[in-house]
Amino acid sequence: MFCMGKNDQAAIAAILAGDKEAYGELVMRHSQSLFRVAFRITGNEADAEDVVQEAFLRGYRKLESFESRSDFGTWIYRIAVRCALDKMGGHRADETSRVAGADDPQQDEVQVSDGAAGPDRLLLSGEIAALQERAMRCLTPAERTAFVLRHMEDRTIAEIAAALGIEPNTAKQTVFRAAQKLRRRLAPLRVKI
Amino acid sequence: MKHLTEEELIECYYNKSKAAKPASRHLERCVACAEAYAALQSDLALVTPAEPPARDAAYGARVWASISGSLPRFEARQRRRLRISIWSGLSYAAACALLIACAFYAGRLWEHRQPPISGANQSPPEAKQRVILVLLGDHLDRSERLLVELQHADADSAEMVSPLRDEARSLLTANRICRQEVKQQDDPAMAEALDRLDQLFNELANQPGGLNAAALARLQNEMNSGSLLFEVRVLRSRIPDQQPAGNARSKGGTI
Repeated sequence: MFCMGKNDQAAIAAILAGDKEAYGELVMRHSQSLFRVAFRITGNEADAEDVVQEAFLRGYRKLESFESRSDFGTWIYRIAVRCALDKMGGHRADETSRVAGADDPQQDEVQVSDGAAGPDRLLLSGEIAALQERAMRCLTPAERTAFVLRHMEDRTIAEIAAALGIEPNTAKQTVFRAAQKLRRRLAPLRVKI
Repeated sequence: MKHLTEEELIECYYNKSKAAKPASRHLERCVACAEAYAALQSDLALVTPAEPPARDAAYGARVWASISGSLPRFEARQRRRLRISIWSGLSYAAACALLIACAFYAGRLWEHRQPPISGANQSPPEAKQRVILVLLGDHLDRSERLLVELQHADADSAEMVSPLRDEARSLLTANRICRQEVKQQDDPAMAEALDRLDQLFNELANQPGGLNAAALARLQNEMNSGSLLFEVRVLRSRIPDQQPAGNARSKGGTI
């Protein structure tokens, strides 16, 4: 049985030697971070949990190709991003139908009276969050993933490119397009504030 | 003054610390770009990271419990791979064996279709010439031995003289055959030597009243005066040696 003190590399060596239980330690160690990024990309708790499971399954199947010099956390993180992207692609048709209503400019307008706290303020926060979510849904899966990784996960362009399997310049352009789209979607909010 | 594009502003926003130094300097000087940048900051600040629902400490264990049943052990995989490699190895060996058998069979077929290369297939004059050379070389060897024995022969020793005469009779017949063959070729030195050998062997074999001391001395003198032994050795050296090495050694040993 794999003991807690061993690092990721030792756990991987044990797994490849036949100790399947050692993978459990890696799963427990990295589940939280994978769930966080999966949730931010998919925007859905159930989908994020599916992504985490799928990522660890894929990781196990590809473990023999894992280079021992790499960091397992980074490696499984990239797999999770790809899984999330795949998940987003699967839901693309549903998302499109749902997002169609978000194109109505009237729906995006948020009337704000002032910055006072209280029920009004909470309502405003909820509306801003909803508008933000609708704006995020207007992005393509790749744009949303790239933007989440850059804006929320603070990943570099090189890391984003590696996670998405694209060229760094393409990753940069994808982030740029996502930011542009979001600004356009959030413009009504800015004006009213 | 060239203003910053939106792309450059976005890049500046995400690379505050390390990159976009020229853009930062421009923002300090250009009011329009500074305002555009402030608007960008305001917009992107609205996009706050969605805080994921909290997962308890047992979340990792639950994930592991949900997937562990569907994960095969790597040991089992290795055995399966080993089985596959054994089967592929056997297949490879069988393919190699089949290939070798086919190559062997094709070689046999090819061999049967090719005309056999043998002495009978060589041109008759060439083969005959080779046979003559072999016979001539053998004859000169025997003649050389006889001459050496004759040179050191003692007439008082009957055990020594009698074999000389028998050998001379035997060589006489062979010498005639060789003379006939050599006469057909343009080799006067060899023909002359064989003539002299014929004369010597004839006298040695058919000496009236046996081989006494006087006759032996005369023959030795006759042989030495014409340097017949030397001439035979020279002629023998002209003929390529057809005999096995073992014979050559034994001959040298007798001398």
